[in-house]
Amino acid sequence: MPKCTIDGRQVEFQPGENLIEVAKKAGIEIPYFCYHPGLSIVAQCRMCTVEIEKNPKLQTACSTPAADGMVVLTNSEKAKKNQRSVMEFLLVNHPLDCPICDKAGECDLQDNSYKFGDAYMRTSEDRRTYMDLDMGPVIKKNMNRCIHCTRCIRFGAEVAGIREMVAIQRGNNTEITTIDGRPLETEYAGNYSDICPTGSLTLKGFRFKKRAWFLKKTATVCEGCSRGCNMEVQQEGNVIYRCIPRENKEINQWWMCDEGRFNYRYTMEKTRVTDPRVSTTDKGLAPCDWSSAISAARNLVQGKKTLILAGSDLTQEEIALLQAFAKQALGSAEIRHFGTPGVKTAQDDAAADKLLKRKSKTANLHGVERLGVQAFDGNTNGAQALLVVRGGRAVLPSLAHLGVTTVIGAGVYQASETKGFSAILPGAAFTEKDGTIVNFQGKEQKIRRAVLPPGKSKTLSEILALWTHQGQQPSTSSRTATTTATVTGGAV
Amino acid sequence: MIDQSQNQKMISANDGASFGVGSSGETLYVQHFKNDEARFLGYYLEKLQGYSALKYAFGMTPAAVVDEMKKSNLRGRGGAGFPTGIKWGFINDKTPFPRYLVCNADESEPGTFKDRDIMRYTPHLLIEGMVIGGFAISANVGYIYIRGEYTREAKLLQEAIDEAYEKGYLGKNILGSGFDFDLTVHRGAGAYICGEETGLLNSLEGKRGEPRVKPPFPAQAGAFGKPTIVNNVETLANVPFIVNRGGDWFSKLGRLERSGGTRLISVSGHVKKPGVYEIPAGSMTVRQIIYDLCGGLLNDRKLKAVIPGGSSAPVLTADEIDVIYDIDPLMKINSMLGSAALMVVSDEYCVVKLIHRITKFYAHESCGQCTPCREGCHWMESIIERILHGKGREQDLALLSDIADNIGGKTLCALGDAAAGPVASFVKKFKPDFEAYIRGGKHA
Amino acid sequence: MAKLLSEKFYSEMKKLEPRYPTKVALLLPALHAAQDENGWLSPEVLEEVAAYIGIHPAQAREVASFYTMYNLKPVGKYHIKVCTNVACVLRGADGLVSHCEKRLGIEVGQTTADRRFTLHEEECLGACGTAPAMMLNNDYHEDLDAQKLDRILDQLP
Repeated sequence: MPKCTIDGRQVEFQPGENLIEVAKKAGIEIPYFCYHPGLSIVAQCRMCTVEIEKNPKLQTACSTPAADGMVVLTNSEKAKKNQRSVMEFLLVNHPLDCPICDKAGECDLQDNSYKFGDAYMRTSEDRRTYMDLDMGPVIKKNMNRCIHCTRCIRFGAEVAGIREMVAIQRGNNTEITTIDGRPLETEYAGNYSDICPTGSLTLKGFRFKKRAWFLKKTATVCEGCSRGCNMEVQQEGNVIYRCIPRENKEINQWWMCDEGRFNYRYTMEKTRVTDPRVSTTDKGLAPCDWSSAISAARNLVQGKKTLILAGSDLTQEEIALLQAFAKQALGSAEIRHFGTPGVKTAQDDAAADKLLKRKSKTANLHGVERLGVQAFDGNTNGAQALLVVRGGRAVLPSLAHLGVTTVIGAGVYQASETKGFSAILPGAAFTEKDGTIVNFQGKEQKIRRAVLPPGKSKTLSEILALWTHQGQQPSTSSRTATTTATVTGGAV
Repeated sequence: MIDQSQNQKMISANDGASFGVGSSGETLYVQHFKNDEARFLGYYLEKLQGYSALKYAFGMTPAAVVDEMKKSNLRGRGGAGFPTGIKWGFINDKTPFPRYLVCNADESEPGTFKDRDIMRYTPHLLIEGMVIGGFAISANVGYIYIRGEYTREAKLLQEAIDEAYEKGYLGKNILGSGFDFDLTVHRGAGAYICGEETGLLNSLEGKRGEPRVKPPFPAQAGAFGKPTIVNNVETLANVPFIVNRGGDWFSKLGRLERSGGTRLISVSGHVKKPGVYEIPAGSMTVRQIIYDLCGGLLNDRKLKAVIPGGSSAPVLTADEIDVIYDIDPLMKINSMLGSAALMVVSDEYCVVKLIHRITKFYAHESCGQCTPCREGCHWMESIIERILHGKGREQDLALLSDIADNIGGKTLCALGDAAAGPVASFVKKFKPDFEAYIRGGKHA
Repeated sequence: MAKLLSEKFYSEMKKLEPRYPTKVALLLPALHAAQDENGWLSPEVLEEVAAYIGIHPAQAREVASFYTMYNLKPVGKYHIKVCTNVACVLRGADGLVSHCEKRLGIEVGQTTADRRFTLHEEECLGACGTAPAMMLNNDYHEDLDAQKLDRILDQLP
C-alpha cells in the first residue's frame, strides 16, 4: 500500500484518495468549507491549503491526491498563515449574527475561526449586504451570511438533479439564489441546510426554536420508505426539534428526502390519539383507562374469528410478538400486512425517483415478508373482527368496504382516522421505540427510542402483555408466552 | 545582451501606426496594419504568401510541424509566455479524440490592443495559423473565442473565414490534403476572466466563465472535456512564418535565448506616439521604446511610472526603465512582460488614483469563486478609496501589503496574482504618494 | 405560449447547432441574438432562451448575469459606455464622463427620462492607443475629446 507522510506521521492510503481524507486517517484535521465528500471538488474556499515538499506554492488538500512518498505539512508557518488569512477574508463581509443565528454551535465558520483564525479584526470597511428573497417553505435564505462555498449549487446540480440554486452576478457581489423568489422545487431541499457551512441556508421549521447545544441526539433510521435512510433525531424535553441524515455510503450517502426528514411531525400532532378509547353505542369513541380498554378489546374479539392487519411499518420484533400473540391469544388468527396503496408485496417495491425515494412508503415491507407475513389482498376470509396494528405510516385499507364492524386499532392514529373503530389502544411511534427493520437491500437496521411515548401510549409489547395478563395473578410462567420472540429492554 | 549599435530605423505610416524595423530589415506583418485592403484573401495571397505555409505543412508530418514550433522558441503571446511548441507537444499519438484548437481572442488585459489589429487587418494570418495548428495536433474543429466588445472585428473575421471556406482553405479535404478543419467564431460577452484559458473554455461551453481547478489541464480535459490546446491570436498568427521560413530562423530573430521571433507591443498612456509596434523580441529596453519609438513623454512631462505588461504587471519607477523589454529580464526585476502592453504615466496623473482604478478593475472582474480574490480585491479597493478620500490610517499601507501577500499565490487562478502584484508594487515604490493622503491631508 | 423571439432567431440558431457538440454551448450566442432583437434580456425572454437550449431558467439567468454585455434591465436607445480604465483615464476619460453626465443630465448608471441615452463606465475596450474611447451600442468611437463626443451625439437620429 502506498504511504505518505503528514506532519511527520506515516499514513497508508488508497490510490486516488485526496489529502483531506488521508489526513483524517492519521487523526489530523485539515479545515475546509467547500469540500464535501458527496460533491464535486472545486478547491474554491482555499481553507484546506497545505505545504507539500518540493512545491513552492501551497496546494489545496481537497484537490491533491496523495502520492507515494509525498511529504505534507498541514501546520507549517506558511500553511497556518493562510488559514488565518482565509478566515480573515471570510469574516470581512460576514455579519456578526451569531447571537441570532440558528447555526451557532454547529457552524463550520465558527469552529474553523476558533481553531484556525485570529481573534481580532483588521477591517474597518462596510460589509456588503443583500436583500433576501424567499425560497419556499423549507429553506430560509440569509445571503449576508453566505461564504460562497457553492456546496448548495453543486448539490442541486449534481445530487438533486435540478439546477435551481444558482449564482448570479460575479465577484464580491455574487448572490446565490433561486431567482425571483421562486420556491425550491426539489424534494430534497432540507439537505441544503445540512450542507451549508454557515447560517445562510437554514430550515424554516427549526428557525429560532432551539439552540443546537441543547439538543440530545439519537442515531436511528427513517421510516419514510423502504430505503431506511440513516437519520438522527434531535430532541430536548421529549420534544423533537429536528431530524437530520446520518452518513451511510451504501444506503443514503449523506442525504435524505424532505418527506422523510419532516415525517416525525405527525407523531407530535395534537390530534394524535394518546389515550385508550372505547366506542359506546351512540357517542362514538370515548377516552378511558387502560384496564377498561383492554377488557373491552378482549370482549370485542371473544368468540369471533379475528384477522390481524399488521402495518409494514412495524418492526421485526413487533411482528414476531403479533405472530406469537395471534397463535396463543386469538385462536391462531391470520396476519396480513398492509402499507402503501399500489405496492402490495415486496416485489412491487421499486425506486420512486432517481435518488433515494422508494415506492413503498413503509420502512419494513421487506422485513415483514421475510418473517413470512403475506400481503392483505382485500379478502377478510370471513373474519368477524379486525385487529389493525400500525406503526403510524402504513396507509389504512378502506375498512368500510370490508363489512366488518368490530375493528380494534393498536398503534399510532390521528383522531380523524378512527371513525368506525370500536377501540383504540394507543401505541409508540418509530421515534419512541427500539426495533429492527429490514430495508429493500435486505439490510437490517435499528430504530431507536429518542423520546418517550406521549400521554398514555404504550409499546406493543406492553399492550399485548396487558391483553394477555390483565387480571391474572403474576407468575413466572405467564411471561414466556409473549416474550419468546424478542429482545432487549422495555422499549420494544 | 542588446547590441546598442543596431539603430532601429523608424518608419511612420499614417497617423498612429508606427513600427520598428528589425535588423533583418523587415517586420513580419505590422506594415499591413491600418490598411483596409489587407484583410482580403486576394491581398493575403499576393502580399503575404498567403496559405503557402499551409501547403508546405501538409507535406510534413504533424510531429515535424510541432518540432519546428519547438525550434522557433515562440513563447505564448497572450501573457503567460509558455513555449508554444512544448504546449502543442502535450498532444501526442496516445491522446484520445476528438481534439480541439481554441484561439484566445479575448484580449481584455488593460493596455493591450494588438490582437485587435491582427483580426481586423490580417485575419488570414490567424486563420492559416489555426489550420496549421489543427493539422499539427490532429484537431478538426477550431474556435476563435473573441471578446464580445470586438463586434466589428468579429464581423471582419467572419468575412475572412467565409472567404477561406469559399476558396477551400477551410472545410473538408483542405487543398486536397485529406485534412478537414472547421472554424467557428464564438463571441464572449464582457468578462476579463474569460481570458484565463479554463474560464474561456467554460464560457465556450455555455457556462459562467469561471476558471477550473488545474489539473486536469486543457491538453488532458479542455473544451467539452476533450483534449484542447488554447493559443493567443498573435501566437497563432506567427505560425505561417515559422512553417515557411523554419523554426531556427524565427528563433534567431529574437535577441535573447528562448524567446524567438518578433513581438507586437501595445504602447499607450502619456507618450507622444501611442500605438502597436513590432520589434524583434528582446531588442529594446523600456527606455528606448518610450523615447526612441514613441517620441517621448506627452507635453514633455517627467516620467513617473511605467506599467510594463498590462495592468497585471508590477509597476516600474522611472529609475527602472533600462531593463530589456522581454519575458526573462522583466521577471528578474520582479515584474513581468505579460501581454506586452506598456502604459506610460507622467507626473500629470496621481499614482494613488491610478492604482485605485486598477484595483477596482480586478474587483469588478473577479469571478468570485475563491475566497482571497473575491474578498481581498474588494477589500483592497475599499482601503485605497478610503485613503483617496482622506480617511486613510497609518496602518493601511502595511495592511494593503499584507492583504496582497495573502492573495498572491493563494488563489485558484492568476487573477488574484494580477490584482495583488500591482498593489504591492505601488505601495512599495510610491509610498510618499500614499502618505500625502494619509498624513499630508491630500484629498481626491 | 406565444413566442417572443423571431423566426430569424430560431433559424440562425439552427444554423449554428452543428458547429458545437452540445446545445448548451449555444447559450452565449443565443443570448446575444435575443438581446439584439429587444435591446435587453427580460425574464420572459430568458425563459424562452432557456427553453430553446433545454435548461432550467435559473441556469440561463446565472450565465447571463455573469457577463457585463448582457443587459438584464432595459437600456436607452443609445447605450454609451465610456472606458475609464488605465490608458483612457490617463488621457482624460474622467473629464469625458463628467461631460456626458452634464450634457445628458444623468449620472453614470442612469437612463435619460426620454429613454434615449443610458450612460455607463466601461473597462478596457482594447483601444488604448487611441484613448480615450467609448462604445455607443456596438460601435467604437476613439480619439475622443468633449467636442468630438458632442458631434457624435449631435448626429444621432
